[in-house]
Amino acid sequence: MSNGALSVLGLCAVNVLLALLLAPLYEGILRKLRAVIHSRQGPPLTQSYLDLLKLLGKEDLRTSPGALYAFAPALTLASVLVLATLVPMGTAPPLGFAGDIIVIVYVAAVSAVLAILTAFASQSPYAFVGGSREMMLLLAVEPVVVVTLIVGAVNAGTLATGDIVTWHTANGPTISMVVASVALFLALQAQAGKLPFDIPEADQEIMGGPLVELSGARLALLRWALWAKQLVFAFLLVEIFVPWPSTGTYYIDLTLALAKVLLVLILVAVVDAVNPRLRVEQAMRYYARVAFVSLSALAFAVIGM
Amino acid sequence: MSHVFLLGSSVALFLLGALTSFALARNPRLCGWIAVVFVTVAAVPLCGVVGETFRTGGQPEVILLHLSSLGASWAIAVDPLSAFFLVIAVVVGVLSTVFSVDYMIRLEKDSVAKFYPVLLVFFSSIVGVLVTSDFLFFLVFWELMTLTSFLLVTFERESSTSQRAGRKYFIVTHAATLCMVAGALIVWQISGSFHFAAMRDALGTLLDTQPVSGHLVIFLFVLGFATKAGVLPMGDWLPDAHPVAPSGMSALLSGVLVKLGIYGLLRVFCSFVPVSASLQAWGVVVALAGVGSLFIGTLAALMQTDSKRLMAFHTIGQIGYVCLGLGVGLYCLADNPALAALGLMGALFHVANHACFKACLFLGAGSVLYRTGERDMNKLGGLGTSMPLTAASSTIASMSIAGVPPFNGFASKWLILATCLLVGMSAPLFLALAIVGLFISLVTLASFLKVLGAVFLGQADENSDVREVPWTMALPQVVLAALCILLGVFPQVFLWFAHAALAGVSQVGLPPIDLLLGGSWGLTLAVSGIQVGFWAPSAIVVALFLSGSLAYGIQRAAGARVRHVPVWTGGEEHAAGTVRYPASSFYLPFKEAFRGIYPTVRLRVPAFPASLRKALDLDRWLYMPLARTVEQAARGLGRTHLGIPQVYLLWIVVGAMVVMGILLLTV
Repeated sequence: MSNGALSVLGLCAVNVLLALLLAPLYEGILRKLRAVIHSRQGPPLTQSYLDLLKLLGKEDLRTSPGALYAFAPALTLASVLVLATLVPMGTAPPLGFAGDIIVIVYVAAVSAVLAILTAFASQSPYAFVGGSREMMLLLAVEPVVVVTLIVGAVNAGTLATGDIVTWHTANGPTISMVVASVALFLALQAQAGKLPFDIPEADQEIMGGPLVELSGARLALLRWALWAKQLVFAFLLVEIFVPWPSTGTYYIDLTLALAKVLLVLILVAVVDAVNPRLRVEQAMRYYARVAFVSLSALAFAVIGM
Repeated sequence: MSHVFLLGSSVALFLLGALTSFALARNPRLCGWIAVVFVTVAAVPLCGVVGETFRTGGQPEVILLHLSSLGASWAIAVDPLSAFFLVIAVVVGVLSTVFSVDYMIRLEKDSVAKFYPVLLVFFSSIVGVLVTSDFLFFLVFWELMTLTSFLLVTFERESSTSQRAGRKYFIVTHAATLCMVAGALIVWQISGSFHFAAMRDALGTLLDTQPVSGHLVIFLFVLGFATKAGVLPMGDWLPDAHPVAPSGMSALLSGVLVKLGIYGLLRVFCSFVPVSASLQAWGVVVALAGVGSLFIGTLAALMQTDSKRLMAFHTIGQIGYVCLGLGVGLYCLADNPALAALGLMGALFHVANHACFKACLFLGAGSVLYRTGERDMNKLGGLGTSMPLTAASSTIASMSIAGVPPFNGFASKWLILATCLLVGMSAPLFLALAIVGLFISLVTLASFLKVLGAVFLGQADENSDVREVPWTMALPQVVLAALCILLGVFPQVFLWFAHAALAGVSQVGLPPIDLLLGGSWGLTLAVSGIQVGFWAPSAIVVALFLSGSLAYGIQRAAGARVRHVPVWTGGEEHAAGTVRYPASSFYLPFKEAFRGIYPTVRLRVPAFPASLRKALDLDRWLYMPLARTVEQAARGLGRTHLGIPQVYLLWIVVGAMVVMGILLLTV
């Protein structure tokens, strides 16, 4: 096997492991932070790992014999891990030769689809309500993500994620990229399923929505997928829109990126801690406005600013 | 063997099959199998022609009949573009016929004598449309195809909705054909010939000397073909005609018939219209029409609760994607043949992909209809466990149409949208169109999640006796679903054929496919030597498999016990199937925002003049009075019959006396 292929495989493994192993840690930090804002003691930082471990050993209660219901949570996590190999983390995305920004958008949608299908397969009417809400939220948020990524593509003149990052590192901030980064940051809140947009789960109304009939290992996998997804999306945001300072050394860049991701997620958590839940039509109206912001970024990009 | 002989033998087989199945129509199952055998056998020479065409890059033209007074001749020519569409027609045709064998038995009210024979004539007319290179004879076959498909749509004679939809289809498509006839006649005035090559030259001169009538001709052709293709607003016949047709026919309508409109558009634009600034303008028009119909069609689909009507609206939407690819390709053809080739290849690839997944979806909806008798998704639910094969194929096809990687719909949408974005970097209009396309593919996803959730997932009715459909109905779906996966994971193979098809008709030399879509792993878009877009399905599938195994390994790591429990519904006990989330409840706030996107226009039909109706009503002034007179006379005569023997004897005596009196008096 050639050197190039080995380094691709190695980087893939690193990205996957980062998404898999660091996601609970980041979530733990966010939980602690939320508790502090709420003047509570809060769980220890390792609590998310402990939750996952405990859930993995719990009895798996199934309301449907279907194969989809059994395997979809694992596939959900798998699709998020594939997404991690398409997103730059410290360096160009390892599977960049296999997927550009359009592929990123669609693979991200796949993880949501699988989660929704799991919900529908569980046969619970609460899960149906939650799945339907999740799809509506996706319909509202995804255009923002699409347009902001296209802003990068138009600026750099390519659809390749790695080349967009390279272009942005070299050519400094532009008005369009700054506006787009704001829009993508606002979209991150819903992608991470945080308040005020945790409408699909809405524990107090529909008892966890898609998660209501999940238990044990499969619940752990879906939770894990959600946490990994917020981490991967935060990486996408900081790597494409805030790539500086870039040293060119992988380890330093990765460490810097991890720090920037932490900052972004802390902002998300602060918004989460101080906001009440919106209704789904309010969320859609909100993201329609954000979509206009991102379109204005695109307009700037088209005129070359 | 010459290709004309092969084509002739396959058409002869179709017609022979039509006669045989007509003769044996008493036994619907036997009749169906006869049709299957003849269609399959007739497909063999067609495949031979297709293979030979792709190998040699086109078959020479052969003239079978010459009408010199009209300037028309029946010329047969098979180029790779025809071959490409022939393959689609053959695959969907054979599978739909196999599906129909058992399906048609359920429709016992109407005899299959008006299904299979017409179907086989329909197939032969499609072959005729695809291989003819003379517009007059092209129109003859086109018309035959329209008529036969009309008869197939209106198969259920007793259903008034089916008759109404058929009438609409008939009127709309004939108006479209009329447009094409008008356009052809304008060109014929100059060329004096209906041959494609002569018409191309004539159209070229017309565009130079009289641009207005030149563009009028193009407009008429586009109108004609776009109506068949289902581009809105002319495609309004489609959501009415698809649901009422027998399901095998719905699959053929969406999988083949609608595609022939695209074939016509490609012929017009790639070989009729000279490459110039006007072609660029028409490219924009086609792309805008495409985006209009994908936006409106798909959002209208989201509102539907009738499964087949929903899919018909999605056909409009997906044809919109094809037109977007076509439009962006035509826009670039003059300046940038590389991007043009990518857009057109994307469009052709999407045509093939749409044929696979939409045929599969219609057959799936047909299977559900066959077992439950229900198209209304509000009344369905939980069929996934009782119909596993149908559910699995429909799920795969739904994911394909929604553009979920790594299925085939994604590969073609990726190609179309990536081309749009790359073109959009210099022409921002296409950026906007691509964004609409990306958004709508998510709406498609929402719509099909609704179908899956409402029909196959969710809770089944208690004591429901729904079973899986017979294998003849399941097999075509499974094959089509497998094709969806194959085309999605190995798009390079199929795009080679699309490229060959386009290179055969394009007036501009297209760059070789290695330069356009290089890369050993999958598809790599290269524009002027720089790689700008990537989609390698094989790598993603491998990555998905590995990480899926990892995730499943984690799931089973602790070896936790699995226990089956009933659904928890707030502590109350409900009979299965009573607590269900109906199809009409999905995405209500979102649907509310787009309500009225597909307005139904009720045309007020002018009242028939009453006096004329009276004059034409023979019953009223001729038959009824006559009948009444006769009746009264008969009743008068009847009074003389009293039923008393003495009276009859008296009549006889009186009669005899009268006769004798007359005899005595005359002698």
